Amino acid sequence: MTMLDSIPTMLATLAAAAPAESAPSPAGFWMPVGASTVAGDVDFTMDFINWVCGFFLLLVTVLMVIFVVKFRAKPGDAIRMGGPVHHTGLELTWTIIPGILSMAFFWFGFKGYLDMQTVPKNSFDVNVTAMKWAWNFKYPNGAQSEDLYVPAGRPVRLILRASDVLHSCYIPAFRVKKDCVPGRTTNIWFQCDFPTGLDVDAAHALRCAEYCGTGHSNMNRKVYVLVQEDFDNWVTKQANWLDEVPDSELSSIAGPKLYARCAQCHSLDGTPGIGPTWKGLWDRVNGGAGSDGKFTDGKGYKDIIGPGKEFETPEAYIEDSIWNPGKHVVAPFGNVMPTFKGQVNQRGAEAIIGMMKSLDQFDAKGKPIAK
Amino acid sequence: MSTISTASPAAAPHGGHTADENYLNCSRGFLSWILTLDHKRIGVMYTVSVLVSFLVGGIFALLVRTELLTPGPTITDSAETYNQWFTLHGAIMVFLVIIPSIPAALGNFILPIMLGAKDVAFPRLNLFSYYLWIAGAVLAVTSLLMGGFDTGWTFYTPYSTTTTAGGVIPVVVGVFILGFSSIFTGMNFIVTIHKLRPPGMTWFRMPLFLWALYATALMQVLATPVLAITLALLVVERSLNIGIFNPDMGGDPVLFQHFFWFYSHPAVYIMIVPAMGIISELIAVHSHRHIFGYKFIAFSSIAIAMFSFLVWGHHMFLSGQSGLMNVMFSFISFSVGIPSAVKIFNWLSTLYKGTISLNTPMLYALAFLFLFTIGGLTGMHLATLSTDVHLHDTYFVVAHFHYVMMGSALIAMVGGLHHWWPKITGRMYDEKLGMIACGFVFVGFNVTFFTQFMLGSQGMPRRYYDYAAEFQTYHVVSTIGSYIMATGFFMTAGYLLHSLFHGRKAPANPWGGRSLEWQCASPPPHFNFDETPAVGDCYDFSVVKWDPKQQGYYVDRSADPEIAKAEAERGHMHM
Repeated sequence: MTMLDSIPTMLATLAAAAPAESAPSPAGFWMPVGASTVAGDVDFTMDFINWVCGFFLLLVTVLMVIFVVKFRAKPGDAIRMGGPVHHTGLELTWTIIPGILSMAFFWFGFKGYLDMQTVPKNSFDVNVTAMKWAWNFKYPNGAQSEDLYVPAGRPVRLILRASDVLHSCYIPAFRVKKDCVPGRTTNIWFQCDFPTGLDVDAAHALRCAEYCGTGHSNMNRKVYVLVQEDFDNWVTKQANWLDEVPDSELSSIAGPKLYARCAQCHSLDGTPGIGPTWKGLWDRVNGGAGSDGKFTDGKGYKDIIGPGKEFETPEAYIEDSIWNPGKHVVAPFGNVMPTFKGQVNQRGAEAIIGMMKSLDQFDAKGKPIAK
Repeated sequence: MSTISTASPAAAPHGGHTADENYLNCSRGFLSWILTLDHKRIGVMYTVSVLVSFLVGGIFALLVRTELLTPGPTITDSAETYNQWFTLHGAIMVFLVIIPSIPAALGNFILPIMLGAKDVAFPRLNLFSYYLWIAGAVLAVTSLLMGGFDTGWTFYTPYSTTTTAGGVIPVVVGVFILGFSSIFTGMNFIVTIHKLRPPGMTWFRMPLFLWALYATALMQVLATPVLAITLALLVVERSLNIGIFNPDMGGDPVLFQHFFWFYSHPAVYIMIVPAMGIISELIAVHSHRHIFGYKFIAFSSIAIAMFSFLVWGHHMFLSGQSGLMNVMFSFISFSVGIPSAVKIFNWLSTLYKGTISLNTPMLYALAFLFLFTIGGLTGMHLATLSTDVHLHDTYFVVAHFHYVMMGSALIAMVGGLHHWWPKITGRMYDEKLGMIACGFVFVGFNVTFFTQFMLGSQGMPRRYYDYAAEFQTYHVVSTIGSYIMATGFFMTAGYLLHSLFHGRKAPANPWGGRSLEWQCASPPPHFNFDETPAVGDCYDFSVVKWDPKQQGYYVDRSADPEIAKAEAERGHMHM
């Protein structure tokens, strides 16, 4: 075994000798907090590349400064004709050494990547849908959330989809990232052994990393890592929250909670936004002022809502707009809204419509006004 | 024995043949410029156009940096406006500035003179390329009037085919047309280098700038048509709703990325390879020293041009393409690093035992060496799969490609502009101001972009209008750096413009170069040379002598036996 062959083995031994972590690795000069099982390996590779590159940068800079200082022309200097103009040995040296080092980089990156690509069999699956400009996390029991909640100490697989344009799911603390591609399914997995609880400050950031327009930088959510028992409680409660809201308070309790998803584009007080404001919306669709408002295809509300028309009732129209937003687009707005089919069910739509009908009972942010 | 003078060359050489007639004053009037077939005038028009675009792109960069001073709204409360700014910054800098800057602007001026030719092989095609560039630029402006575009310079689908911004189609058509400008320039240069080399200039006697322009031209001709096809498909999808990239219509967005990067990765080398050619000239001439490892530098340009076609997939490690492809693309990507390392060490060795004149062009060349080393080395982090997963689409990538595209390609362009300024304009600029401005640019650049490496590795994605408070310190430092850099560039604009009117007249050969452009007057006469001169080894500076009377150097052609030999061969051929 040559000296060079043994280097990876030596480094691997060093890495293995490190004690199992009992807490996330703290943020350093380069890398942020590292809280997943692959973070240690990624950070090690990063450090290795940094040291090698740092050495070469220093080498080039120091040689450059020395040569410039030493061989600087002074007035009256004769032109030196002494230096060699070719040296095969040197050329081979600086071809082969960078070649070997880059193969080492490749090897470490390749090994680390294999670990990231190989999803453990017992992973806990979460379906993720990215859309302009929100995340939807759907758990095996049907629960849904806008922040991500995962159990600690077991592999979690995120099955990534996008409903409109490209997005990218990035959790810096776990060193994972993958594009969410419309029409395709991709996935990433991670395991985090350190619970954060429901503390928003301890939770990790989840960001969108692929440019997706106006709200790209607002697709920031949190990742909460819960011990298994807490997670089970949370996910059970989360699955049933809408059903547990009493019918009489559906619009006042469930309405605002669902509206939080709509608030980026639809204002409640007439402020212009990416989509039509909800102020006066109910009157418009219900035959009141502005009911001849035009869609991009030239039709008005009156043409599609009413007995015998496309929608029997205004409620049916609104419900359908939540599920199939591209069917009738109100001018001058663009066809921007993603579908909420599978995320907002019949009962959720009822809550939203109830809220639209009684907007005077909410403030501009969607909070119920205390009676 | 020739000697070095650091005294500034004073008066221009008077006397000689047809002393005062040159390409600038041989004909007058607006039409004599816009209808010119002279490669030098076309080169000047390109240079002016590219520099104006650089100013516009730079203003957008400053707007972006200023907006990022604070999280949330700073100077605009609209994320759409910010998105348009960074899109315009990127698209202008890539398509209107960096790609044409060295080949079309400086290359057009210098290439035929370096060959001792009277013009490029196809002068009319050359002027047509310029007007295609103008047409592309006009369409880009039109797109602003039609509602702008917010797609990022990469035009990724399905965002670009569904965004409500109204200016997407005109700008895409504009880039399509700019592509043809680039293809025609490339074809012109390939033919010119093949057919118009002077007696004695074998392939391995070519100045390295010509090798670099040749490698670039190959890439322009082979890669740009793919961009044209891709953009045409994009326009078809957006305007006629024919599904190619949009899955709602049966297309595949990842296909767009393959097409796009099949052009745009070679395009990175279309930007950097000519810059490397300039650096080879700058370092050799201002060190008054034969370039070290000529063949390795020449072949590494060709190697980079070849490898550049095989690595596009590293832009798509996270796009959902297969893991096996990622591994292969990662492996091949490292191969591009090696010819770049070879070049760096050869340039470094050229400094060894040179006689280094520390002037503005040389300072830019040294700045290039440092910045390109960082730009190249940080490519390692991104070619390595496991670290790229974390760094992909973050500011680390932004910093990396600014070190390569701006810190290397544009810095070389500015260095080359200073190097050939006396030749192009016939005037000397203020050397002291030049060096100070270079210092501002160098310091400002590093403050701006080195910070962004940490910003990215700490987890800040690119193209963000709003960001977490923890990143603010980095952003403030980076923005201050951009102001320092802007100060340097405005100073440069100031003293260069000043020199046009008040600069000392330049001698034919102010630096001591020996390639052919230094053997005709500054500025060159309309037809460059009466008869194509024979050449020897263009990096053999032993025949370059200092002439105190003209305060410039001259090439003692009688002292080089190779020139005599080449002349004799020409005589033989004529018989």
